[in-house]
Amino acid sequence: MRAKNLILICILPFLFGFQPGQINSGGDDTPVALVKKIVKDVTYRKSGSDWEEAKTGLPLRNGEEVRTGAKSLALILFTDGSGILRVKENAILNIYGDKNAKKLNKNTVVNQGLIGFEVNKQSEDEEFKFTTPTAVASIRGTAGFLEVDGEKNLTFSLETGAAELTSTSGQKLGTVTAGNTARMDDKGNFNITQSTEADKAKGRQARTLNTKKVTIMTNKGAVVIEYYSSEK
Amino acid sequence: MSRTKELLNHYSAAKVFLILFLTATSVFAQISNIVSGVSVGEAKEQTPLVIKAELFSADNVSTVQIAYKTFGQSEFKKADMLITGTTAAVTIPAEFVLPPLMEYYLIINLKNGTAQTYPVGVQEGVPPVQISIASVSEKEKEILFLSPSAGEYLTQQELFISISFLKAPDNVDPAKTKIFVNNEDISSLAVFTGDLLVLSGDNLSSKFTGGPATVRVDVYDKDGKLYHSTSRSFQITTAEFAAPGVWTYNGVLKGESRSEAFNSQSTWYNNIGADFNAAAGAWSFNANGYLTSEEVSSRQPYNRYSLSAKAGDVFELQLGDAYPRFPNLILDGKRVRGLNTALNLGFINMQAAYGETDRAIEGKFLQGYSATSDATLQSDVIAVNQSKYGFPYAQVELGTFSRKLLAVRPSFGSGENFQFGLSYLHAKDDVGSIDLGARPAENLVLGSDLMFAFDHQNIMFTSQAAVSLNNSDISGGNISDQQIDQIFGSNTNFNVDKDVVKKVRDIIGSFITVNQYLGPWNPQELASVAAEAALSLNYLNNNLRGSYIYRGNDFQSFGQSFLRTDVKGINFTDRIRMIDNKLFISFGYEDLQDNLQKTKIATTTYKTVSASVSIFPRADFPNITIGYTQNQNSNGISKTDPTKQLYSVDDNTNRVMVQMSYDFNLYTKHSSSFSFSTSTKEDNSFLNLDTKFNTGSFNLTSYWNSKITSFFGLVFSSSQLFGTDMSYFTLTMGGKYKMLEDKLQLSALLSPSFGDFKRQAFEFTADYNVLANLNLIFQARVFRIPDVATNSIFGLTTRLTI
Repeated sequence: MRAKNLILICILPFLFGFQPGQINSGGDDTPVALVKKIVKDVTYRKSGSDWEEAKTGLPLRNGEEVRTGAKSLALILFTDGSGILRVKENAILNIYGDKNAKKLNKNTVVNQGLIGFEVNKQSEDEEFKFTTPTAVASIRGTAGFLEVDGEKNLTFSLETGAAELTSTSGQKLGTVTAGNTARMDDKGNFNITQSTEADKAKGRQARTLNTKKVTIMTNKGAVVIEYYSSEK
Repeated sequence: MSRTKELLNHYSAAKVFLILFLTATSVFAQISNIVSGVSVGEAKEQTPLVIKAELFSADNVSTVQIAYKTFGQSEFKKADMLITGTTAAVTIPAEFVLPPLMEYYLIINLKNGTAQTYPVGVQEGVPPVQISIASVSEKEKEILFLSPSAGEYLTQQELFISISFLKAPDNVDPAKTKIFVNNEDISSLAVFTGDLLVLSGDNLSSKFTGGPATVRVDVYDKDGKLYHSTSRSFQITTAEFAAPGVWTYNGVLKGESRSEAFNSQSTWYNNIGADFNAAAGAWSFNANGYLTSEEVSSRQPYNRYSLSAKAGDVFELQLGDAYPRFPNLILDGKRVRGLNTALNLGFINMQAAYGETDRAIEGKFLQGYSATSDATLQSDVIAVNQSKYGFPYAQVELGTFSRKLLAVRPSFGSGENFQFGLSYLHAKDDVGSIDLGARPAENLVLGSDLMFAFDHQNIMFTSQAAVSLNNSDISGGNISDQQIDQIFGSNTNFNVDKDVVKKVRDIIGSFITVNQYLGPWNPQELASVAAEAALSLNYLNNNLRGSYIYRGNDFQSFGQSFLRTDVKGINFTDRIRMIDNKLFISFGYEDLQDNLQKTKIATTTYKTVSASVSIFPRADFPNITIGYTQNQNSNGISKTDPTKQLYSVDDNTNRVMVQMSYDFNLYTKHSSSFSFSTSTKEDNSFLNLDTKFNTGSFNLTSYWNSKITSFFGLVFSSSQLFGTDMSYFTLTMGGKYKMLEDKLQLSALLSPSFGDFKRQAFEFTADYNVLANLNLIFQARVFRIPDVATNSIFGLTTRLTI
């Protein structure tokens, strides 16, 4: 099953028109996104490279992969000002962008983890997508969260706006609107229901950046370690 | 007969007005003897707009209100301005700040009970002030400030600056971009990666020492000409404060002492203000207070205080002075001292406000009477407590009853695609709150509102309706059983079952006092009904909006003092964006009628046609807005009709406005603006009140270096009111100079007026930054009207930032 998912993840960008090898063919190396904030352990890598430590202000180019460790988080901004992602702990995602003239089509492939998002209204011919192992969400302007758990089950919840969901095979699944949550498991079972209190709590968790700090006094002064906590 | 008197009074008022502005003490057009000037914040589409009026003296001013309207609307919305010291300020909500322009005027209520507008004479036909509203969809959307966010709290380690040129037009040269931190050029630290400019690392951190910071970015085109300038303010703080989830806070303490010498009278004023903000996670808190020596029990409150807590968009609680915003037919723009709260759960929401809108002000005993027959029949002669005042009746200066208001609005739906709300408002004067008052009143308003939207709000329908009940005198309470027995029944003029009347009284009486003063008496004519509906479509770069309003002549809400009643009609506006938002064309049409309940001698129609063109070229060329408005008012009565000629209304006003703004480099950076407005009113009625106004202004601000800024301004005004001419020029010159390592900022402004109106104004300010968070500000203002008076204000302000 995991191998199947891996294959799916690899072919998803090709299915949905984001072909990493063909991006920025005009020599334009404009990053797709920037890392705005880092707490604790956040790494990134280019395709086929080793993981490297991410720093505040790191530009993320087409296809680059970001990973957050335990008790860590990253805040990612898209360079066309279209939105912000709050990547919670133990998440793995790839950022893709297809720049065409002054437009930037974005696709965030989420392999694992909880991501809170706020996406501004997109122009008619611009796309903002989330791709997961089971479904693709097309967004115009909305806020909410999505979570892909270890079993590749998807939870996609919206606080505002609306999003179209299709399966990775291209089948239209439905429209998720504000206050509702879509769920899809790795077998393709899909449903949309009104968001539960647990969904709303997770939405609040995804929206906020709760961090805690430990201060260690050393003979060279105080060392403050900041880490992400999902606890309230 | 009364109409004749009214018109004679009107003539008298016009004469007084003429005499006033022909004397040296009077003012006209944009000259006022109360308002020295008005500053308007950045007028940008869908951005709250701050308007501040500087008063020559706060001594005579009771309240200041602003009346404003967007393009294509004929009805002015009104709101109270907050007076602090000699400044009256208001923030226009973002939804009313729409291109191409907004019109406003101020209503200044004086302590002697009279009122004046700014510009002076709006009621007599002087055009209101117009503000050109820039479309936000221009350069701000091309040059993207990615980081930091506005108002963000950051540590030095977290700081990085990033500008995206991804959406910038081809004529922009990102490599020429200049970046300034608190006016220091740090462009050399910038690194480009594709269309992205990034500044980060230790070199950048060293430029920030903590506290508030501003980054300004100047973007140039390929010819080296300034294309756009944008800035962002934020806070550099310690890691403890910047970390989300822990407390962050800031505050300002301000104290002022000033002496005003006005018309030979000298008065000292002292006031202190405090504003604290704190936040932790999704919660934010605010405490605000303003105490002034102007606070006296004989006037409505000048002091202001409030405490508020907010949890994102979900929950809000305000205690103290608040301006709750319900549907505008119900409660909007009114100060309520008490509680204002909202809980927004999405599917179901609740909003409530409770508190005092007017405080009790005792009236003044003027003259006592032993019997009503001794007194002339006047509205200020009332029955008084004989044991307390020695007479059963007295002529008094009427006081103000304490008035409390309760408003509740449950609503369903988040408001993004659907919302349905129900509103209830009850306001009642406290009869026992004062001795010397008359006609305490009570008001009940019930309303509903509905909105639904499709396609990401590109199609939106909004509507609201309300009905009011008003009791204009509740001093006697509910009508008694005995009174009902006397008035109603088979042997009386009202052949209605007494028991039914009593039952109805008991039911309605649980909501509002029932007696002979309860209205309206003609509900079947929809006299106290108000309703409006609007449909807006946003497609193909067109923002088309059509609306219908109906407001009966008796509709009244104590939560909304400023609503125009006795009017119905339609309004259409269309705002069209063209050529990649470089061209903005607007059209408006409005057709309104009054006399809905046939309470006037004739029905007047008010037709307004307006159009404007705004050009926002991305080349080195000025931004230009040209606007045209035509108002036609007519009631069909002939001016030759011997019996009705005094009532005739037949006028046509044409107004043309041109505004230009241009930022350019000539030895140094300059910002310039030019505006011209001409208005001609042809009055074909019996009164023949023709008027004509021409005003023009030119302003130039030059930034010579980081320490010196200069201002130059010229205003020309020429008017013709009822055949009398008046012209004047006002010249404004001044500058700002920073010294002592920018710790001391000196600014001076000289502003003489010539022509039919003569005045000299001089203003000097020294702002000394004693400590990083402590400023001392000395202000001196002198106004001289030749041969009449010299007035001055000297003040010292201390400002502490926490």
